[in-house]
Amino acid sequence: MKFSYIKPRKKSVFTPEFKLLFTFFSITIFMLVSTYLFLLFKDYRFDADKKEIMQNRSDLNISINQMKEQIQFIDIQTLLSEKIYTQNSVLKESITNLFDLVPDRITLSKASLLENGLILYGITPNKDVYNFMLQAPLRSIFHKTYSSFYPAENGWFRFVSTNYIQDESLNLNEVNEEEIEDED
Amino acid sequence: MKISISRQNIYLLIVSIFLLIFVLLFSFLVLIPEGKEYREKRATLIKEQRSLREYQNFHDETLEFLKELQSENRAIITAFDKSFNSVKFEKQYKSYFSSLSVSKIPQITKEDEFSVYEVNTTSQISSPKSFYEFLDAINKSDWIVGVNFPIEFIREGELIKSSFSIKVYSNAKDSNKSL
Repeated sequence: MKFSYIKPRKKSVFTPEFKLLFTFFSITIFMLVSTYLFLLFKDYRFDADKKEIMQNRSDLNISINQMKEQIQFIDIQTLLSEKIYTQNSVLKESITNLFDLVPDRITLSKASLLENGLILYGITPNKDVYNFMLQAPLRSIFHKTYSSFYPAENGWFRFVSTNYIQDESLNLNEVNEEEIEDED
Repeated sequence: MKISISRQNIYLLIVSIFLLIFVLLFSFLVLIPEGKEYREKRATLIKEQRSLREYQNFHDETLEFLKELQSENRAIITAFDKSFNSVKFEKQYKSYFSSLSVSKIPQITKEDEFSVYEVNTTSQISSPKSFYEFLDAINKSDWIVGVNFPIEFIREGELIKSSFSIKVYSNAKDSNKSL
């Protein structure tokens, strides 16, 4: 039997090999967990960013819709104003042409421009002047023309000329178009 | 041949295997699925960002177009916003007539999104030319004004008495589309 003279050392589980192994695994696990936490953080950020993007998109969508409504409304305003301006211009041309239509020998005392007709009151030296110089062009413009005469004090004739367009869609503005056709 | 393994080495081996299994399980069950999710989310986010950029560009283009439209039609927009003032109207257009009086009919009609005032006017003009000039000027008015039928011209000595109604268009008060 052999005896040892050295004092026995207490044996521990944490040997240098174990410590080395533990360190290696600790580092490995630390890296894995860090990566996992990093991914979790990034996922959280992505979710937050996505939420923000969706909110921005929703805001932009609302803003775009509002702007589209505004554009549509401006278009309606522009169209309406253009229609009114055109009507005013056409009316001016119509009245110009109407007064140009009246020959110098006939004097008007009253003119009523209706939406679908024209009533003229005036005085003419004789019926022929009226018939040839005023009624003829009026007849070419209007569908129905009625004339009545009353003798005036000076031997001339007072007349009332009532002219209507049958189709309601047509109006006095046709005076202008007819004039242009006559000129051609 | 006898292989002798010390107890420490057995512990070492057990711990190694345990840690290795932990690392493998953690990697395959947690880390890799999380990585996949990360990749998917990143791809989705890039797609959303691209989509947002397109939206932003469209928004900017629409805004630019709106501003351009507003500046081009500034006079019309302002005219529709302005409420009719008969005194100012008389003052502005009196120069075209020998006399002008405007009477506002209280009844207001509605045409689509617009309120329409009807105003009767009686005036005296020296020649039809004044009336033509008035019709030209009314298209540059502070309001959107349309001359309406019936229009009457009556000879009164050297002057012509004219009476006609005008329609003044403005934005309806309950419309929220005022700009």
